[in-house]
Amino acid sequence: LTRSLVPSAPAALRALPPPVAVGVLHTTRPLHTTQQSLAPLPPLPEKGGEVRHGLIPEEFFQFLYPKTGVTGPYMLGTGLLLYFLSKEIYVINHETVAAACILTVIIYGIKKFGADVAAFADKLNEEKMAAAVAMKNEAIQTLQTAIEEEKKEQWRVEGRSFLFDAKRNNIAMLLETNYRERLLMVYNEVKKRLDYQVAMQNLRRQKEQEHMIQWVEKNVVQSITPQQQKESIAKCILDLKALSKSAHAAV
Amino acid sequence: MNLSFFDQFSSPSLLGIPLILIAMVFPALLLPSPGNRWINNRLSTLQLWFINLITKQLMTPLDKKGHKWALILTSLMMFLLLTNLLGLLPYTFTPTTQLSMNLALAFPLWLATLLTGLRNQPSVSLGHLLPEGTPTLLIPALILIETTSLLIRPLALGVRLTANLTAGHLLIQLISTATTTLMTTMPVVSLLTLAVLLLLTILEVAVAMIQAYVFVLLLSLYLQENI
Repeated sequence: LTRSLVPSAPAALRALPPPVAVGVLHTTRPLHTTQQSLAPLPPLPEKGGEVRHGLIPEEFFQFLYPKTGVTGPYMLGTGLLLYFLSKEIYVINHETVAAACILTVIIYGIKKFGADVAAFADKLNEEKMAAAVAMKNEAIQTLQTAIEEEKKEQWRVEGRSFLFDAKRNNIAMLLETNYRERLLMVYNEVKKRLDYQVAMQNLRRQKEQEHMIQWVEKNVVQSITPQQQKESIAKCILDLKALSKSAHAAV
Repeated sequence: MNLSFFDQFSSPSLLGIPLILIAMVFPALLLPSPGNRWINNRLSTLQLWFINLITKQLMTPLDKKGHKWALILTSLMMFLLLTNLLGLLPYTFTPTTQLSMNLALAFPLWLATLLTGLRNQPSVSLGHLLPEGTPTLLIPALILIETTSLLIRPLALGVRLTANLTAGHLLIQLISTATTTLMTTMPVVSLLTLAVLLLLTILEVAVAMIQAYVFVLLLSLYLQENI
């Protein structure tokens, strides 16, 4: 008993001589506030004690077996019953009949519903246990999934350099494309400006020509005097007559 | 032992020492106390399940303030159930057949509900004295009637329980006496009476449980009105 109390007492008190330590240790432990030991409790037995006829433990029959054999306890019971009845220590009255009835009802109830009730109680416990076990399994499952995910991530890390190379290539291509596009744009813009200059020059040239021709024509038309006009018209008429004569002749 | 029909209802005493306290406390000894384990044996598991069932049934219609009554109502229910059922065994004394005890249980609890209602919400409690939608002419009469009905509740609770159990026990005694007396003269009639007695016993088991439930249910209803 002292050994079980020793761990919970402070060291200074334990150092006292044993006869004193016992009493002192008892006083340091508060009464009935905690269990003696919070270590794992022993497990519950799987089955209850064996019982014969629902009332009398099997150990009683085993106890009487060496001396009286198998029928011993039954003889004892019958003898006791007959003794009580014959000596009128137990009187048969109306309560006996009532007792018989209520016992019939009780025994019938137990026989009919006993197994179901026991199964129900077991089911309650099983459900409680199953919930906890399910939680535990789920936690294990989650952790294992996490482990697998981690391994996958580690494998992915190995391929990281290839990924970066590909990305780098992509970016270089993009830059190159962009540069070329801009180059093309510059070329187009410059060409547009030069084309504009060329078009301007052509236009100027054309306009100068047109103007010159118009100026020449105007001056020529101005220089034609009315006399010259009449002479040229008479000449034309004579030419026409000559032509018409040759045409008549041809026809 | 020569028993008259009313010996079973007298308060038990041994050599002048009253045993009524033991009779009232004994049923509690039959209930296992919850152990330190997470998974208990079948009896503890069933007891826990049963008490949970009762508490849920009683507390669902009440709001949070009424949940303070959970302990007393559930323990009252367990007490009444056990004493009623154990009283069906032969040669036992049932404390709930005593009007004194039933009134002692009903009166303070009913009064507690009434005073809670009058203290916390007096107008609502008094409002219960007049049902909705009554014609104006009937109001005075109805208030008197409802007040009477209110004041008679503790008496009704106590007497209901006493009467049911006493009547049941007396009936069992009478019919079993009839069976015993007829056994010598007309055995067949005696067997018929025995059949009646069996049915009566089953009825008494049911009545024992129902009366306990009704007592606690009515108290919870009075609480609902007043909380």
